[in-house]
Amino acid sequence: MNGIPGLRVVTFVCAVLVAGVPAFAQVDLTGSYRTRMYEDYIERGPGEFMGNFTGMPLSDEGRAKALLYTSNQPSTYERQCLPQSAGVFQYRPVGFRIWSELAPDGSVLAWVIGGDNLRNDIRIWMDGRPHPSPNALHLAGGFATGTWQGDTLTARLTHLKTAWIRRGVGIPASDHTTITIHITRREDLLTMTTIQEDPYYLTEPHVVSRVWQWNPRGTSADRPICNTANEIPRLEDTGIFPHYLPGQNPEADYMVRTFNLPKEAAMGYAETLYPEYRKKIRGTYVPPAECAARAPGYCCGWIETQGRPGGAPNLTCNDGGFGTLGPRGRKPAATEQR
Amino acid sequence: MALALLVLSAGVGAQGRGAQAPPATPRAAAPVDMTGYWVAIISEDWRWRMVTPSRGDYASIPMNLAAQKLADAWDPARDEAAGEQCRAYGAPGLMRGPTRLHITWLDDTTLKVESDYGMQTRLFHFRTPAPTQGAKTWQGVSTAQWVMAGGGRGRGAARFGSMKSVTTQLRPGYLRKNGVPYSAETVFTEYWDVHTEANGDRYLVDTNVVTDPVYLQLPFMTAIHFKKEPDGSKWDPTPCDARF
Repeated sequence: MNGIPGLRVVTFVCAVLVAGVPAFAQVDLTGSYRTRMYEDYIERGPGEFMGNFTGMPLSDEGRAKALLYTSNQPSTYERQCLPQSAGVFQYRPVGFRIWSELAPDGSVLAWVIGGDNLRNDIRIWMDGRPHPSPNALHLAGGFATGTWQGDTLTARLTHLKTAWIRRGVGIPASDHTTITIHITRREDLLTMTTIQEDPYYLTEPHVVSRVWQWNPRGTSADRPICNTANEIPRLEDTGIFPHYLPGQNPEADYMVRTFNLPKEAAMGYAETLYPEYRKKIRGTYVPPAECAARAPGYCCGWIETQGRPGGAPNLTCNDGGFGTLGPRGRKPAATEQR
Repeated sequence: MALALLVLSAGVGAQGRGAQAPPATPRAAAPVDMTGYWVAIISEDWRWRMVTPSRGDYASIPMNLAAQKLADAWDPARDEAAGEQCRAYGAPGLMRGPTRLHITWLDDTTLKVESDYGMQTRLFHFRTPAPTQGAKTWQGVSTAQWVMAGGGRGRGAARFGSMKSVTTQLRPGYLRKNGVPYSAETVFTEYWDVHTEANGDRYLVDTNVVTDPVYLQLPFMTAIHFKKEPDGSKWDPTPCDARF
């Protein structure tokens, strides 16, 4: 080839043109991202009210199973890790980290999402491999494959373990649930939209879109989480499973009693997700009393630190009858011993 | 020669459509079709978006003390009397409302976004709009640009991209219907993405940042999603309502 200058030029031209072919789109997602809990703050921060299924398209089966839930369930060995699953990911109060795993040729073999909010990482394979047999191993992070749609990474998760959807209210997800994730990074913001489907517990896809912010100080990820421990000794080895029997959940009408919400909205009927529902309840919905007069109400503006309830700097707010929250958490009452 | 080839390659890539001439108008250059009817899915913050929360219920919003004082004094009757019943329908509040959007091109350089909730119209100007002489309105003045995937590189392949818009000149209004304020100094930045699912469903996701030096301690960041509807059969315009 050294003796053929023309061929060398042709080779160079080809190389230049190949370099000009778009690499769709290969945005570097690497980094740590912190939560910005400006949506669903109560659920992601201090914890949701029992019996609040607003915003959910639940099937009758999903609703019935959710109403069996008590807060003691996550304290049992078998269920302590269910909140650290992909279906709860968008509702957790902590950040996460994304990194890439490379193939020998330097291409991205997989994008991986990990953090305190996931018992198993979500590993999004980018090499076009097929999803395994339905009978293959199911994990909390599922099995995921991804493709780039422009600057958005779209992943499809299957093979998820039975878990919950949302945080701390018992909405179930079956092991047939699937989740599509759209991840778009721009500047220091990461938008993650998840579309979850479940043939048993949802009547239509459950859509959530969140904003996360790049965190140069990093966030913990891949540390061992969900080391199960016995939180309720009296239940150990008894075979007792905490639950409410059908029709006996005392919180089933909590949102009706406390916030005057229509029962069908609190119980997660799909029709309540759309604008026409607002028009349906016009004239019958009565706003509740002022937040400060209602208990519990959680009237806080926001929380200052991830996972730690507190009012914004210089603000104080009602934490629902338990005390007053200042910028750094609860302010003790004058008579309270610290 | 090498330099010439590099220049040639860069030029071809920048055009984004092979040897074709660059599109003449923003409408023709659109990397994504946002037109049509879209419905908000209120699957987040339901209690604060679908119905009017009670006075003092400010969860999630990084407001400051001045904002809290104003919101604590929220009085919808006073707003009605002052002809300010659309305060919660200014752009930053409107987009979180239970609304349908009808998106069309007003002309080759202006995208129009109408809401049936409050019957508002937002105009997104891809070219510098006419000066407004300081007038502030509920929907303000929005400038827009396409953000091409991969920075605009690509030859002959399908185009991908999104829209970025920045809205200023806003008349003071409410971020939430129960009186959480934003000021005339607010800058409302939005990133509009469209995602198409395997089954053909399409979702419009509006990632947005409200920056207000007067009433917010930090930028208020949310993402709002809408689902594409086949037609306008459910379009139901209703006027502003200060109470519900």
